[in-house]
This record gives sequence, structure tokens and C-alpha cells, in this order.
Amino acid sequence: MSGTHDCTGDAAAYALGALEPEEASAFREHMQQCAVCRDEVAALGGVVQALPTAIRQYEAPPGLRRRVMREVRSEPAGSLTRRVGVVRTRAIACGVAVMAAAGAFTGIELTAGAAATVFQARLSGISGSAQVRVTNGRAELVVRHLTSPGHGHIYEVWLQYGTHAPVAASVLFGVDSAGNNEVAIPRRIHGASAILVTSEPSGGSPKPTHAPVIVTRLD
Amino acid sequence: MFSQRRNLKQLADEDLMLQVREGDARAFEVLFDRHGGPAFSLAYRMCGSRARAEDVVQEAFISLWRAGGRYDPSRGSVRTWILSVVHNRTIDSFRRESRRTAQSLEEGHAEERVAAAELTEVTVQRRADADGVRHALLQLPEEQRKVIELSYYGGFSHQEIAEMLALPPGTVKGRMRLGLGKLRISLDEAGVLP
Repeated sequence: MSGTHDCTGDAAAYALGALEPEEASAFREHMQQCAVCRDEVAALGGVVQALPTAIRQYEAPPGLRRRVMREVRSEPAGSLTRRVGVVRTRAIACGVAVMAAAGAFTGIELTAGAAATVFQARLSGISGSAQVRVTNGRAELVVRHLTSPGHGHIYEVWLQYGTHAPVAASVLFGVDSAGNNEVAIPRRIHGASAILVTSEPSGGSPKPTHAPVIVTRLD
Repeated sequence: MFSQRRNLKQLADEDLMLQVREGDARAFEVLFDRHGGPAFSLAYRMCGSRARAEDVVQEAFISLWRAGGRYDPSRGSVRTWILSVVHNRTIDSFRRESRRTAQSLEEGHAEERVAAAELTEVTVQRRADADGVRHALLQLPEEQRKVIELSYYGGFSHQEIAEMLALPPGTVKGRMRLGLGKLRISLDEAGVLP
């Protein structure tokens, strides 16, 4: 047992994904010090993994398969070894410090045939990390170990163009029990100077109600 | 080409993931053929809407493709990873709604009968395991089964379940713990757990 915490109280709810985001975040921190809870979650996790087998099983609809594969074939996956090798070549060829130490721009990841530009985000008031990966004008926000938005709240993504008011990107997201998520931004970001994230009430807001907690400058 | 595809079908999931990391869309296609059905089935059970389930599964698989080789075998099987992503993405989609109740899911089911009739049900290959899990769930006291189903298949938090059932949150957590504990024993005895 760790301190006065009820070590068997939250493990089951956590394994089921039933804790509120801030509770899950607190429980993850607790597990770092509590082997009892870690073991309990590991054991119950195996049970939870079996739950999908208990439901009626269907074939994936043919249209779904076609759409997935069409998008996959238009967007090649990454190859780490090729990524590293060609980045160095480009740096030498361009005479530019591709992997900038300062600022938001951190480098270029080359996927098979398409360059993914990576922009590191700045966080304010929350912990974790975030970056935006841009491929062919399409952006994906990747967050890791991010503080949950809190009960009754959700993260909302905005695009900023110069000094204009932020425009809703039609993206709301939370984070999983590890604080992770990868969120595709459906709007093309051409011309955007920044991608912002605010914490909003569930369901989102037409305008940001607070200062952004994640800022990714693209200029 | 034909012989390459047949060889891919013979690869284990973990080996296919290595191919995916190298950008092999054909390997990813084989993974989809193996796990797309269970992924869709889970999303459909949770969403109660075929269209929504398809959107969630499409989003999930594209994110898996973009993740390339980030699959970590020490964290579980490829199927477990895929279903975990689908489960999380479905809950994310629920969070975009301002309010969702168990009743709204029930009402949605009536409209879905037509869509469901067009779906092809499949015989689970590992039928004994599936039957074992279903049987173990049915053996639970209803109060414990309900909170597990509402949380896992419904995507509701323990707070939301407490409000729905007019119970203290601690009682809901307690029923989850007892229910999962009993399931663990039953599934272990049935040889379903790894």
C-alpha cells in the first residue's frame, strides 16, 4: 500500500478507461510509486483485453476497407533509417541547419517519397509534449503524456492567420489513459501562422474561452 | 506480385508491422483484413451507429499507418494495440458530444436495424474463447456486469455511470473492481487469459 491511498479503488476503473481524465492522470502518477496498483492494472488489463471478443462480430464493410486503403496509399508511412540519412544529405545540400536547436521548427522527417515537417509546440499551464507534423499541407497534432483537459472539458484546435482571430479547426480531442493522442487536422493549414489548442467545455466553443495551452508556430 | 501477397498473408502480425514500418501498404492491407472486422465490431457495439463506427475505425487505422513502426510488442499483441486505439478513438468521439446518455444509445439502435441487416456477421475463429468470455460476463451479478458494460462498451466514466444509476461514485468503482476480479478468475479457469 502507498500512503493513505486506497490502492484497490481505482485500478479497475482505470483499466476500463472509466476514470475522469484528471483522475486518470493522477492515478498514472500514483502508479509510478505503487507496485500494488501497477500489478493490479496489469492483471485486470488482460481481462479488459478479452472484452472485445464477447460481442457480435462482423466483417469490416467493403467500403470502409476501400477508403482506408485509398488513404493509406496516398500517404506513405515512415522509415526511420531513410529518414535520418536523407535529412543529413538535405542539410549539406541546402547549407541550412535543418535541425534547429532554437525556435519551433525542429526538423524534417522524410517519409517514403514525402517530407514531413515537424514543428515543436510550446505548452503553457499543462505538462507533456506536443508537436505538429505537416505532410503535403496536411497537419497532424501529436501529444504525449499530456495533462487531461479535466472533467467536463475537452481540447479544441484553432488555426491562426497572422493577427486575425483564431479560426476553429473543427477538431475536439481528449487524451487516452497515458495522456497520448494523434489528431488529424482536417483543414489545410496553408497560410496559417500558428496552430493553437485551448481547453473548452465539452462540445467545444465557437471562440476560444481561454488562453491557448498549446501553441505551435508555423512561421 | 501474387506470390508476394501470399507470403505476406503467412507472416505473423509482428512481422507485418515491421513491413509497415518500411512503408509497405500491402502488409498494412493484410493487417486490416485480419483486424478490421473485430475493430469495426467493437466500434459498432460502442457507437450503435454503423456510419460513426466506420468513421472511427477509418480514423484509427490511418493513425496506426502514420504511427508506422511505433508498435511495441512488449505492450501486447497487434490486435490488442489496434483495439485499444479504436476504443480510445471511440471515446474521443463521444467526448465531442456535449451530452450522451445510455437512453440516446438505445434510441439510436432502432434506426440501426436496417444498417445492421446489411452487415455480414462472421463466425469467430476462436469460438471457445469468445463463448468463455460471454459466459463469464453473464455469470456476473447484473449490477457488476452493467457497470462494466457501460464503461467499456458505452465509454462512460464512473462519474457518468454514478449519475445514470443514482449511485455514489465509490459504489460504481467498487462494482467494477468486484466484477473484473470475478471475470479474471473465471477467464483464468477457462484458460482464456494469456
